[in-house]
Amino acid sequence: MNWRQRVMALVVLILAFSLVGLTGIAQGQAVKNPDTLVLVRFGDPESLDPAYAYDTASSEIFLWHVYESLIFFNGGSTGSFVPMLATEVPSVANGGISRDGKTYTFKIRPNVKFHDGTTMTAEDVKYSLLRFMFMDRDGGPSWILLAPILGADVTRDDKGALNTALFTQANNAIKASGNTLSITLKEPYAAFLSIMAQWSMTVNKKWAISRGDWNGTAAGLAALNNPAKPEDTKLFAQGNGTGPFKLVQWDRQGRQVILERNTNYWRAPAKLNRVIYRVVEDFGPRRLMLQQGDADIVSVNRPEQSQVTGVPGVRIVDNLPQLVVTGIYMNLKIDVAGGNPDVGSGRLDGNGVPPDFFADVNVRRGVAYAFDYATAIRDCNRSAAAVNKGPIPQGMFGYNPNQAWFTTDRTRAEAAFREARGGQIWNSGFKFTVAFNSGNTTRQCMAQVLKSNLEALNPKFKVDVRGVTWAQYLSLYRQSKLAMWIIGWAADYPDPDNFVTPFMHSTGTYAKAQGYNRPEVDKLIQDARNETDTAKRRAIYYNLMKIAYEDPITLYLQPTGFITMRTWVRGWYNNPAFFGPYVYPISKSGG
Amino acid sequence: MATYIGRRFVLLPLVAFGVTLLIFALLQFLAPEMRAAAFITNPNQLNALPAIIEKYGLNKPIHIQYYNWLREVFRGNLGWSQTARQPVAQAIGAFFPATLELTLYSFIPIMIIGVWMGTAAAVNRDKLIDHVSRVFSISFRSLPSFVWGLLILMILYGRLNWFPPGRLSLEGDLFVRSGEFRFYTHLMTVDALLNGKLWLFWDSLRHLMGPVLTLTMISIALLVRVTRSSMLEVLRQDYVRTARAKGLDEDVVINVHARKNALIPVITLSSLTFVGLLGGVVITETIFNFPGIGRWGAFAAQQLDIPGVTGFAMFVAGLTVLGNLAADILYAYFDPRVRLQ
Repeated sequence: MNWRQRVMALVVLILAFSLVGLTGIAQGQAVKNPDTLVLVRFGDPESLDPAYAYDTASSEIFLWHVYESLIFFNGGSTGSFVPMLATEVPSVANGGISRDGKTYTFKIRPNVKFHDGTTMTAEDVKYSLLRFMFMDRDGGPSWILLAPILGADVTRDDKGALNTALFTQANNAIKASGNTLSITLKEPYAAFLSIMAQWSMTVNKKWAISRGDWNGTAAGLAALNNPAKPEDTKLFAQGNGTGPFKLVQWDRQGRQVILERNTNYWRAPAKLNRVIYRVVEDFGPRRLMLQQGDADIVSVNRPEQSQVTGVPGVRIVDNLPQLVVTGIYMNLKIDVAGGNPDVGSGRLDGNGVPPDFFADVNVRRGVAYAFDYATAIRDCNRSAAAVNKGPIPQGMFGYNPNQAWFTTDRTRAEAAFREARGGQIWNSGFKFTVAFNSGNTTRQCMAQVLKSNLEALNPKFKVDVRGVTWAQYLSLYRQSKLAMWIIGWAADYPDPDNFVTPFMHSTGTYAKAQGYNRPEVDKLIQDARNETDTAKRRAIYYNLMKIAYEDPITLYLQPTGFITMRTWVRGWYNNPAFFGPYVYPISKSGG
Repeated sequence: MATYIGRRFVLLPLVAFGVTLLIFALLQFLAPEMRAAAFITNPNQLNALPAIIEKYGLNKPIHIQYYNWLREVFRGNLGWSQTARQPVAQAIGAFFPATLELTLYSFIPIMIIGVWMGTAAAVNRDKLIDHVSRVFSISFRSLPSFVWGLLILMILYGRLNWFPPGRLSLEGDLFVRSGEFRFYTHLMTVDALLNGKLWLFWDSLRHLMGPVLTLTMISIALLVRVTRSSMLEVLRQDYVRTARAKGLDEDVVINVHARKNALIPVITLSSLTFVGLLGGVVITETIFNFPGIGRWGAFAAQQLDIPGVTGFAMFVAGLTVLGNLAADILYAYFDPRVRLQ
């Protein structure tokens, strides 16, 4: 061995020893920072203003921690409620909901203090609801209240001018007197209680005004409405609510938000003294922080799950129901203007597809029967997903478990394709592209599975799979440029309306991009929205699911979630409607 | 010399202007709908894309958008960074001190070890130290920074718990926010000492060690090799032979006569290294979750956060011009011929 080999051997030995040492991990750690919960994730909040934020990374911080809603979800249920800032859940029986289903009356809980010590009143709730509705930033959540209360989705006309008549209307629809708040809806809106359980976050009116926020009058609306930047709203990084935690600081450079226990909370104070939401983008350090106990709950993606499995002191709770549906969308009217690489030649010559390729229901049925669901679920989703029979997630009201649905069936797939366009497709073949947002390996894998399924039917069938960056992906699919693509939808509130609308309504986010327009479907969706009789409403949703089967435009999968935390985290529970862990009942003890 | 420096300073705004124009033009090749993606955090917002494009004027002609941006810059407003969730100028001010601190702590060992190893290797050519330095520098360089970063993190944090990621521990972080702590320089180690908190100094030093070690390992190789070859070149010169011939002590020959002249290429390289480090070391900062400017710049680029990327590019361009200026001044110090020109 000459000196070179010796030095190299030494280097290799040092590395090898270091790596061997890695397999052992300190056991039996004592609880680290016992009164502080550290949640480490990979996304920053966009804004901490409850009327601006419309993403889970923001909402999970303040919702029910800093700000509270009138009513709340009962344990893990998304359909039953318990009182929160109201003293009871309105119902027709207790007189809280009027006979015509339009007026909801909430008795406001007395002696609830805001974080600055002042008492919360019905007037604060009214202010908060109006503020939420009239902030109405482009792409924001305000439509969630605007639609049921005013029957409008936006507060501005086509030219972007604020419609002040809507404010007068809203001001009359929401009444605060003494300890009572009543809301009169434009039409009965079956999902309204679900909406109130999440989107009635109450801010401190006097305090907000003293910080230069909206003054509560029509004259101040111009400054409130459609802010240009998130920081333009006064509650961007500060807050004063009634919740179990106070917002101490959002450190945008250190990428963390710090909450502290509210000792004057109207229920028993939280067990934890402090909650820290920290961003660590890279999975490696996130995992090590969990292992070292510097993080209590960390975000982990499915592909990384095996790397946190079996780590001592770490608990994974798997198969959590989520209100998320992933779809594989077929575009009925592909936009080929200016050329489109995803449709090949643009003709049925075996090297492309025409823009209306998927307009033939037999093509879509062929795809639905060809797709190998079992493989896609096992290999791409690590078995943590299930086929969904239509857009409404399983377990939610309106989901019909007995609805007939597609199963992998090569014979039927072949029959459907042979029938499509009088056999023309079967004879000449086709070529198109399935797109996914690059980096999303689950979607990439599903696209690959579909490709091999379709190509196995007929040697003339060709499918390409293409990864597109997120920004480009959004842009292309919105312009109806993609022939077929895969993306998910997460509930804004736990109600079937929030799923049938994007997936099936002609103006819905996805159905519109797919060129799907059936007036009778739009009418059914509207009828279900206004129907307060549960049985009748369920029947309409069953009907919509039947249509989703008979005239399929999308294949649906429902992924389940999982959470990774230290075993010393106690008191955690799941509700599919939560945007993140509900920290109030959580404590740290044992190990 | 003064005019030379002055001319360089005049160049600064011109370079910044050119760089921003270039970046701006490049980003404008992307469709407005793509650029609007920076404002979308949730697929449920997609129906509002046209309104967002309208609001931010993303569909206006490029010269109008650039003019609007430039007008705001002259008013001292670099725009709002969608990715940093704060104004661009404020974001640069917030992220830069961490990177500066990291750069200072990395640059010192890089220079000292690099120049020393390079000199030693040249002087002891083909002896053990030359081979050892070669093996080390090549093996450090031959693995990418994320591999070294992860290895260091796994061993020195995951296994030994010596050097955790981030900038401070939970206790340190909460203390810094407590109001008892005063910021002077925003360099955490320096401020900790100025506040008389030795434990905080150690805390921040511990957090700096991982990225410093990674950066030193990957940056040192080039410096060792350049110093060595430059030194070998100089050692062959007549005046070195003369110095030796007249019986000067070998240390004096090497340290005074040879090394000073051998340092010219080293200065170029080290100024580039310094500016490179200051402009942010994306991968190292990301792996160690270090809140520096590079991580933010890369993120802004990925997200097509136009004000963010343009502001970041302008800042790095300014740093590069200043770095080159510093190198020029150092040339003049080390090489009188430059001064005379």
